Amino acid sequence: MARRPILGVFDSANSAADAGDGLRRAGIPEGDVDFLTDTPYPEGAFGEREEPHRLYIFPFLGALLGLTSGILLTSMTQVAYPIVTGGKPILSIPPMAVVCYEGTMLGAILFTVLGIVFESRLPKLKAGLYDNRITDGYIGVLVNTEETQHSEVEAAFGQAGAVDIKRE
Amino acid sequence: MASNAEQHHSGGHGHGQHAGMWVFPVREEITGDVAGKTFAMPSPYKLAMGIAAILTIVGVVGFFIRASSDGFGSPGPWGYYAGIFSFVFMVTGAAPLVAVAFRFTKSHWRRPLSRVSELFAMVGIVNIVLFIPLLLAMPPIKNPDVQGSDLEVRRTLWFEVPIGAPYTWDILCFVGLAFCSVFILWLSATPDMAQARATATGFRRSLYGALAGWWFGTKRQWNHQKAGLALLGAFYFMLLIFVQFIFITEFAMSMVPFWKDSVLPPMYTVMSFQTALSMILIVLFIMRRWGGYENYIGKAPFWSASKILLGLTLLWTYHLFAFFITYWYGRLEVEQNILKYLFTQPYLVVFLGNMLFSFFIPFALLIWNPLRRSDWGPPLAGLVALVGSLLFNLRTFAAAFNTGNHFEFALSHVPAAVWPDIWDICIILGGMGIVALVYLLSAKLFPPMSIWEVKEGTLYQKMDTLVKGEYLVLAKPE
Repeated sequence: MARRPILGVFDSANSAADAGDGLRRAGIPEGDVDFLTDTPYPEGAFGEREEPHRLYIFPFLGALLGLTSGILLTSMTQVAYPIVTGGKPILSIPPMAVVCYEGTMLGAILFTVLGIVFESRLPKLKAGLYDNRITDGYIGVLVNTEETQHSEVEAAFGQAGAVDIKRE
Repeated sequence: MASNAEQHHSGGHGHGQHAGMWVFPVREEITGDVAGKTFAMPSPYKLAMGIAAILTIVGVVGFFIRASSDGFGSPGPWGYYAGIFSFVFMVTGAAPLVAVAFRFTKSHWRRPLSRVSELFAMVGIVNIVLFIPLLLAMPPIKNPDVQGSDLEVRRTLWFEVPIGAPYTWDILCFVGLAFCSVFILWLSATPDMAQARATATGFRRSLYGALAGWWFGTKRQWNHQKAGLALLGAFYFMLLIFVQFIFITEFAMSMVPFWKDSVLPPMYTVMSFQTALSMILIVLFIMRRWGGYENYIGKAPFWSASKILLGLTLLWTYHLFAFFITYWYGRLEVEQNILKYLFTQPYLVVFLGNMLFSFFIPFALLIWNPLRRSDWGPPLAGLVALVGSLLFNLRTFAAAFNTGNHFEFALSHVPAAVWPDIWDICIILGGMGIVALVYLLSAKLFPPMSIWEVKEGTLYQKMDTLVKGEYLVLAKPE
């Protein structure tokens, strides 16, 4: 059976939270439920699960790559063109710091952006189920589940006082 | 936490000296209202864009005449160009950081100014283009014609001159900075563009669809946006400080023989914070007074920012004094020459103007409580500080680019001042014009008010009574 989205639209955050409780009672897995809002609500405001993310890994990798490139580039230049400057060793850290730092920063920024794009699964070519009233403060409860469960979802939405229920 | 029902009032709140300090926009109306204001093009706005466009054209004419008459063979004629570029970069480079910094500190009063500061990211793209002529005018690191006691290699921060130095690494700095700030703007403006896509038409509709068509405001998306803004914000801060250090060292210090000063880069950075905050307060004031945003911008942002502006003004002066006293006590002839050159002899008048506008007047204005609590006081102090910053940049870079022999071991004499000619003045006006033009255009593309942050603020702030007084109650969810 195909999984299809169903969207309940609520005019208050309390009703949306009640719908979340109703869906849990109906046995809808938490991973199938999403709350659509026009502004970030604090963690757990709807009694929803915590959403972990892996975004921090990307800048770390980028920084590591950038730093490695910077070290390689500067040290190889110094070894290839050995000019003693100010009586300092050919391979010394302070002159390498500028390029290494810049490489680290650029790598971290680039990979953070790539991370955001990847984690957000962009580009998204197909528009999802949405209701424009959400931009005016309504709360959307989006459930992506088996069609056989849609009646239970609708019941939970109805009990919580959904002002509208939409299907794809 | 305040309920939505309690938020259904707008206008100024607060009593006595705090009258009009806080405003509470009606949440349900914010998206439509801000989108409407963004899409509207009133006559004063058109006039401002026209003036900015004319100034830009004047600058372009000045630039081409300067380039055709003097070429890029010697840095001297480009001193004032470097000065106005530095001024533009100083203000607009640090401006996005204001949103980043106050988002980190979770200050509620920052909400109306977030987008105002992030929009300066668009000027960052222009900064890359404006920076290229400076690279062309910069003298080479290796002395092409060593004479007498001249240095074979100019003293720069590139030491053994790694591959790509200085040009590639310099331009990468500005590209990286612009890239980072534009992504901060995109990430921050995505929810607002997504919300406005229903009412947008024509080009804006296509733009919002392309940039924010994927956004639906799920928990996962909000979490990624928050983490992304935090990470990119942190990296922007780390890169900005570095780029400012590179720029002021490369194009000011390294150009003046024997100018070795560890205080100049932090002084430049502090001044950039001072001027960026000043510029943002001026834009906020204009938006509040004439832009129709009085229901979104209370006096609180001005009041809170004024204290930071006062601190930055004092910090800049401390750095200037630290720089001055080090050289003044040094007493070597070459050090005295640098001091005379930059401060007390040919550019004395400009230096005094710089001190007056960067410290004495802003300080005298900002120490007064009633003025700090007004919506016009801090922007006025900011405007004065901007004039001071312009004088600082013109003085520093006109002097640095006109020392004569950049390969000298030390500054053996005090060069004469070089004052701006008509084309320099055109370039200076053009530099300011292009910033205004790009900013005004950007404010018509992206909502100049961070809709989602203002809405978030309505969840966490309300007025309540304690005994007989009415006070602001703030929630801190994190």
